[in-house]
Amino acid sequence: MLLDVIQGTENGGFVIIQDTVECCGRQLLQSCIAAALHREEDVHVLAFEVCEEDVRLRLDRKCEQRLCVHNGYTDPLGWSEHPLFTVHQFISEELNVHLSGSEESKPATLVIDSLSWILRHHPPAVVCQRLQELRRGGALRRVVALLHCDLHQQGIVGSLCHLATAVISVVPGDRGQQAVAKTTRRTKSGKVTHEEEYFSVKEDLTVTVESRPSHHGRPQTEEDEREVDPAANLTFNLRLSEGEKEAKEKLSLPFVFSAEKKSALLQPRPGSGRIVYDPDASDDFDPEDPDDDLAV
Amino acid sequence: MLAESGILLSVRSGSPFLIGSPERSDVSLLVKVLMNMAMSVSNTGERRSQQNTRPACNTTSFQKKSRSKLVSIPGTRPSVQNGQLIVSTGVTSLDYVIGGGLAVGTLLLVEEDKYDSYSRMLLKYFLAEGVVCGHHVFLGSARDPPDEIMQDLPAPILDDIPSNAVNMGQVTACDSEDQGSMKIAWRYQNLPKVQTALASSSRFGHYYDASKTMARELREAVKCSTFFLPHELPAESHAEPSPISEAYRLLLRSIQELIRQEGFDGTAPQKSRNILRIGLHSLGSPLWADDICCEEKPTQASSLTSFLYGLRALLRSSLCTCMVTVPSHLIQNRAIMDRVTRLCDTAIALESFRGSERETNPLYKDYHGLLHVKQTPHLNCLVCEAPDTKDLAFKLKRKQFSIERLHLPPDLSDTVSRSSKADVAESARLLSSACGGLATSNKHLDF
Repeated sequence: MLLDVIQGTENGGFVIIQDTVECCGRQLLQSCIAAALHREEDVHVLAFEVCEEDVRLRLDRKCEQRLCVHNGYTDPLGWSEHPLFTVHQFISEELNVHLSGSEESKPATLVIDSLSWILRHHPPAVVCQRLQELRRGGALRRVVALLHCDLHQQGIVGSLCHLATAVISVVPGDRGQQAVAKTTRRTKSGKVTHEEEYFSVKEDLTVTVESRPSHHGRPQTEEDEREVDPAANLTFNLRLSEGEKEAKEKLSLPFVFSAEKKSALLQPRPGSGRIVYDPDASDDFDPEDPDDDLAV
Repeated sequence: MLAESGILLSVRSGSPFLIGSPERSDVSLLVKVLMNMAMSVSNTGERRSQQNTRPACNTTSFQKKSRSKLVSIPGTRPSVQNGQLIVSTGVTSLDYVIGGGLAVGTLLLVEEDKYDSYSRMLLKYFLAEGVVCGHHVFLGSARDPPDEIMQDLPAPILDDIPSNAVNMGQVTACDSEDQGSMKIAWRYQNLPKVQTALASSSRFGHYYDASKTMARELREAVKCSTFFLPHELPAESHAEPSPISEAYRLLLRSIQELIRQEGFDGTAPQKSRNILRIGLHSLGSPLWADDICCEEKPTQASSLTSFLYGLRALLRSSLCTCMVTVPSHLIQNRAIMDRVTRLCDTAIALESFRGSERETNPLYKDYHGLLHVKQTPHLNCLVCEAPDTKDLAFKLKRKQFSIERLHLPPDLSDTVSRSSKADVAESARLLSSACGGLATSNKHLDF
């Protein structure tokens, strides 16, 4: 599922890549940019944490003209006279002007590096509203953002992920070099899917996904395998042979009644009781009335 | 008689609609209503004592005859338990769980599940029920445009008898093949099985098909008002300090104006009275400019609670009901969530299994999540209607949102020690014939 999310097949999505100090998610972000450029889409990058050269570093030279990097790295707070891009421009309407400035009418992909930087300078509610507004306006096809989840309180991370359609959490894997990506995707119809995969990003920014990591917290299956069948090596016999099974079926149970008596007992009858007599095998049932002999 | 049943009620001339008597001057009617309510409370007591002896389902088919003098609004009926005017929430099993239905003038709080899939479905059912009954519908949302939500309402199933009709244990004609189904316990084969689905015997409310959307003509036949926050919020907000934030103030004002304009507060003529159904999606989320979901010590901690207080005051004095969904899993401060629950009348919480470790638990495999009833209201009476079990689980099927009792199935795993009859008979025979041999072979048995 990680590859699907990076390729970005659906519109109107908001993808958050969560990373921590232990494992960086910027490479995944770069691979998203590369994938979007390969699909011949316009990409706008708001770079607050990396300089422009680092963004363009491993990207394909041919697709570069579709990439537009807004440099928020050199002067993010607008201290100099002519700042290139400030953090306040994200909130204001100027960003819309930048985004719709391209000639083609194809909607663009917006990549934010990183959202944590913006959250440091604006209240989270305002950032959420702005992101929702950017998604709803027609200029953008998709928003991909990097979020350092150990820099914020749990509530802020939770609120942002609540807005997202896909969340990729990058954690260090236990297999040394490979990292684990936990992807949760939510479709419009409300269906939620979750997957954990090992991944690695190659030099040309393509992502390869390996098999799923084995779960450590499943000792139950191992226990089941270790458990020996207790009926295996016994000195006595617990199973029935065919003849014994037949004899068991033929055995008549004590309170088995005839069909008539059963149906009579099952149906609730109003009024007084009804006596249904079923003669047993050992009963001596003589239908003649013994009083017939009397000559009265 | 009132003293016997212990009802304390202050009778004022401006009596609210909850008592069910709109006429201010008709005191005798009011007294009759009060006596009827007292009777219904004592009836409830009798019914409860009967319930303990009756082994089958504990619903009653008793329904009060509606008085001709009371105005009857389509889609509502007086409650069986306490005479309140109630409407259906759109989901019949939810109606049963909260005591028959949602009373007019009260507020239903739904705590959202983690990905907001089922609470959104409940909101859609609520609005769809309003459309089908012909009520006026109001939808307030900050995240998705209200038109999108309205276009996605489920289609009603209009001429269908529900397939899970309450089985009263009727005996059908048994032929011999059926009697062979249970060989030993055949006397019990016609008794009803454990009643897991909750439903009342009288039909109130409709069923909806979740896979189809409602037809446009049906939707446009009803008046619908909407409130979408990004369109209503002015670009420049003059920040004057107030206990309630700008967004909530605008929402409250728009609801108040609607009530006043359309006459839901009693100013409309009696024959054309209707109910207003208000649905508010995801209140308290950051998109409503509220930061209780983001921080533990939010700057406007009392904004949502002030809004709910004002909303409930509006509801109590008009013919409205309201359903509010709140993303409670995001709210950091438990005290705020407790206050929000106290300010609403009925509160339920949805907990879905998706994405959590419970999804693979075999105990929960038939269900989509758990439903917790956090609060039920006392409306003009001393007792509140609570469901008899607290372990409820829900499942969203195509034609129904069913809420069932969660009960533990029997433990059929191999590790459970259980001896079958045949094995006991076999081992008894073997032991009686070769007792000495068995004792010596097993070294743990020493006599």
